[in-house]
Amino acid sequence: MITLNDYLLVSGLLFAIGLAGVVLRRNIIIIFMCLEMMLSAANLSLVAFSRFNTVNGLPDYNGQMLVFFIITVAAAEVAVGLAIIIALFRARRTVHVDDIDAMKH
Amino acid sequence: MPVYSLEVAVVLLGLVLLMMEAFVAGKDKRFVAHTALLGLGAVLVGSFFVDRTPDASGFWSFYKADGLAMTYKAIALACTMLVIVLGLDYIPVLEKFTARVGGHGAWGEFFCLPVFICAGMMWMASASDLTSIFVSLELVTIAFYVMVTFMRRNVGSLEAGVKYLILGALSTGFLVYGFTWLFGVTGQTNLDVIAAKLNSGTVATVPAMFSFALILVALAFKIGAVPLQFWIPDVYQGAPTPITAYLSVGSKAAGFIVTTRILQVFLGSEALVHNCTAILLAVACATLLVGNLAAIPQTNFKRLLAYSSISHAGFLVLALAAGPAGAFGLAPGQIVAYYLAAYLIMTLLAFAVLVVINRTSGSDDLNAFNGLHQRSPFLAFALLVAVASLAGVPLTVGFVGKLLVFAAAVKASLWLPLGFAIIGAVAGFYYYLKVLRNMYWNAPAGGTLPAITLSGLTKATLLLLIAATVVLGVWWAPLFQLVRR
Amino acid sequence: MSPLDLLIFVPIAAALAMAAGAPARLTALTAAVVNVAVTVWLLVKFQYADGARFQFEATRMILGEPRLGFNVGLDGMALIMVLLTSLVTLAAVMMRPVKAGGEALYYSSSLLIAAGAMGAFVATDLFFFYAFHELALIPTFLMIGMRGTGDNKDAAWKITVYLGLGSLVLLAGLAALVIHAGAAGGGITTFDMAQLRELAPKIPASVQEPIYLTLLLGFGILISLFPFHSWAAPAYASAPAPTAMLHAGVLKKFGLYGLLRVATPMLPAGAHAEWIQHLLLVLLLGNILYIGLVTIAQRELDLLLGNSSVMHMGYVFLGIASGTAIGFSGAVLLMFAHGVSIALLFALCSVVREKTGTLQMSRLGGLAKSAPFLGLVFAMASFASIGLPGFTNFSAELLVFLGGFATKPASGLGAVQIATILALWGVVISAVYMLRAFRRIFKGEPSEATLGATDLAFRGRLPVLLLLAALLVTGFVPNLLMQAVAPFAEALAKAIVIAP
Repeated sequence: MITLNDYLLVSGLLFAIGLAGVVLRRNIIIIFMCLEMMLSAANLSLVAFSRFNTVNGLPDYNGQMLVFFIITVAAAEVAVGLAIIIALFRARRTVHVDDIDAMKH
Repeated sequence: MPVYSLEVAVVLLGLVLLMMEAFVAGKDKRFVAHTALLGLGAVLVGSFFVDRTPDASGFWSFYKADGLAMTYKAIALACTMLVIVLGLDYIPVLEKFTARVGGHGAWGEFFCLPVFICAGMMWMASASDLTSIFVSLELVTIAFYVMVTFMRRNVGSLEAGVKYLILGALSTGFLVYGFTWLFGVTGQTNLDVIAAKLNSGTVATVPAMFSFALILVALAFKIGAVPLQFWIPDVYQGAPTPITAYLSVGSKAAGFIVTTRILQVFLGSEALVHNCTAILLAVACATLLVGNLAAIPQTNFKRLLAYSSISHAGFLVLALAAGPAGAFGLAPGQIVAYYLAAYLIMTLLAFAVLVVINRTSGSDDLNAFNGLHQRSPFLAFALLVAVASLAGVPLTVGFVGKLLVFAAAVKASLWLPLGFAIIGAVAGFYYYLKVLRNMYWNAPAGGTLPAITLSGLTKATLLLLIAATVVLGVWWAPLFQLVRR
Repeated sequence: MSPLDLLIFVPIAAALAMAAGAPARLTALTAAVVNVAVTVWLLVKFQYADGARFQFEATRMILGEPRLGFNVGLDGMALIMVLLTSLVTLAAVMMRPVKAGGEALYYSSSLLIAAGAMGAFVATDLFFFYAFHELALIPTFLMIGMRGTGDNKDAAWKITVYLGLGSLVLLAGLAALVIHAGAAGGGITTFDMAQLRELAPKIPASVQEPIYLTLLLGFGILISLFPFHSWAAPAYASAPAPTAMLHAGVLKKFGLYGLLRVATPMLPAGAHAEWIQHLLLVLLLGNILYIGLVTIAQRELDLLLGNSSVMHMGYVFLGIASGTAIGFSGAVLLMFAHGVSIALLFALCSVVREKTGTLQMSRLGGLAKSAPFLGLVFAMASFASIGLPGFTNFSAELLVFLGGFATKPASGLGAVQIATILALWGVVISAVYMLRAFRRIFKGEPSEATLGATDLAFRGRLPVLLLLAALLVTGFVPNLLMQAVAPFAEALAKAIVIAP
């Protein structure tokens, strides 16, 4: 039997892996993927919380509604974000965070 | 008219502007900005006459129209209008950095997207459910990604945009994960119900504190407080100056209304209030120190204003952390609203001058202000009033805000944080007055530069903001009435 | 509308007119003369018997909760300070700028400092009392930086940051005063001074003491109380003449005025606390004796005057610390006397610099031969500063010392009395440095710098004669001032004794 705690554990792992990727990786595309992973971690635990937190014998749909919004917003974020990253690549020919230093001087 | 028609009107206005921008012939798109100003002005006036009583529909569990919400809606509208005015002055720079090789610039959307951001901020002011908070906050954030990167031929703007994007998305991750846990421990998404649940004593405190920490980190990004404050200087410096002003005022204000509402939930719970207050005070002190001390050595005025924006966030968090008593008959949320209204006036005044300097000298270094007193006494005086108010010199509106925060801290007997606030404010005297040194003591760089001409709209805006700074610093009643609505 | 509003708004209006293009010097002089005329009118109309009560009052409420209003009023002490301000302002705007150009900013800075001082002295609302004082902050910063001499830029930063710190500490103290007075008075938050005088003494003594200490610290930094004095001497030394005259002569009195107007009457238990009193006595002896010795060691006239103005603050503190009516009278009188005499000395100092190009006393000498008028006035100003009879300073210092002795200890000599005996040595110290300065600058063989110096022309004599005349007239007829001060001081001494 899979319990709420198992879901939360997996979701926590996903969040931690995503956060570690954001902090450790240097490629902006990878960082962006890790950011999306953090959102997925939230989605997973939201769904799990709804499923195990029943209202009148049904899952709590408030949480699932939030999941749909998160998915939609994440898609919008990706659309805008990738456009920005491409524009940066055109100007600087790099997607490496260490090269983003125009404001250091 | 029901109150939510304000947001509907602003979104419709944004759509109409996009259509106009796309389909009306002609290269000069200034009319888009003028239409936006008229439309937003009409909504601002209308916001004082709408019907705020909730009806029985489920909509009102996502939406609140209390006085605080109305104040923040007014702040969002006023801020957006002033940013559009600043943008009109900034068109030559936009033209330069958006043009294709040998072609014209494309800056029409520069005056459409802020209208959508404004709608998002107005929605944030009223959001009272985790879902509506999240969606409205993301509407604002994603539109800002575009605005920060708007000058796509300028590397600084692009890099600022990428930094903002990465950290913004990171804060979104923290926010939703925090919301998830808040939903998990309470089983609710409406803030009022969550507050009741948290205070009922049936909720596990450890996961609740976990979600508090995650949400606080995410909100710290929005309001520019420690620990997610380090993006601010770079992004502020790289973004187009009017957008920097917008980030510094509008985005921060919208972040603070959400912070106020979410903190009410946590600080209202007897089991959590102690720990949450301690964390908040630590955040406030750290923000005050980082913002003010790091501002001291700055030589770029835009970065200076960035650190100033961090330090003001420190004062604001201190007001929220000082507890429910508030000061001088204002609740903490009202003090924050007051401070932000004052901050709007003085910061936009400073940025309005900076935009003119940007346009004429192509630089935002402090040295670009050398001898401004001789080139344009009026501009120099405008900036003098702005920095005096930012530094908190009395008889300006900035002082009243600072006094309220001090009073709240005194009332709550927070002597250590008050000491940090005093150190921060003294450091402020130093770094804000640095620009006066450049304007009045120093001679213009490179001999005598030409006098600066100002458009009628800019002059009127500057005069209005100067007058507001001084008059509201003496006559406290209008802003007190505004936040007590 | 009250005549007191004119005192505040005439200089501000003149500054605005200059910004709009009105002829600078003429406008400034007109405004200063109008203020002197209004002051004379006030002196005539003032009900001296009622000197403890606010007169010429005007109330304009801004907010009901908290109670805040742009309220003005004039009691005996405020009358003396208004007289001081308008006299020094007139003399200051008579001083011509050394560098040409930018006259509008030069004169409007002086007028704004004056308007700020006026506003602080006549305000009967705590917020405006505090706020008007800060009006001087930025003009002072600009003037010292733009037109100062020597290390003016460092001095400008130092005075601004120090005064900023002082005013923020003060702000914290005043906020605590207002909030605790509100709590003690049943939840009324008010900035009205008359109301606060009713409510604030009800604050428990254990709370009054830290608030009083904070106020003392805040006001003390503004007054250059030892050991927070290091901003004062360099700033005054490098400031242009009108700024130094107004700042050292008038604006620095704000802190002392605040102690007598706010801290002492509103927090009597704090003022009476023995440990605070002892602390204050030690610090004021630091001002009188330590700074006095520092002053003797100065080699340049401007720094000597700057330090001497710090030193003299100690006497005023002594008058306040005595807690007696005589001591309070002496303190108020000395604020006036010191304000006029230090402004006179700074005016003369700038003349010496202008005529000889230096203020190093080793390079000066024999100036009285080529500039006899200058020598005469400087000698009289020195006598005034030392406190010789015939000048207001004499009667003021005498009252301070008498006030110090009039304290009644349980047995033997009290702390205030011991401090008074030690403070008497200050008179000797100031005699040493002032007379030595006079001898080295004006007597002896003429040096290279003083040989070609000319005496003051008629137009330059006006401001110094004005100030000298004020010192002499009030020195020979101290009752002109005492009739206003005495009722105020008696009421204050009575109020702080009756309070529990």
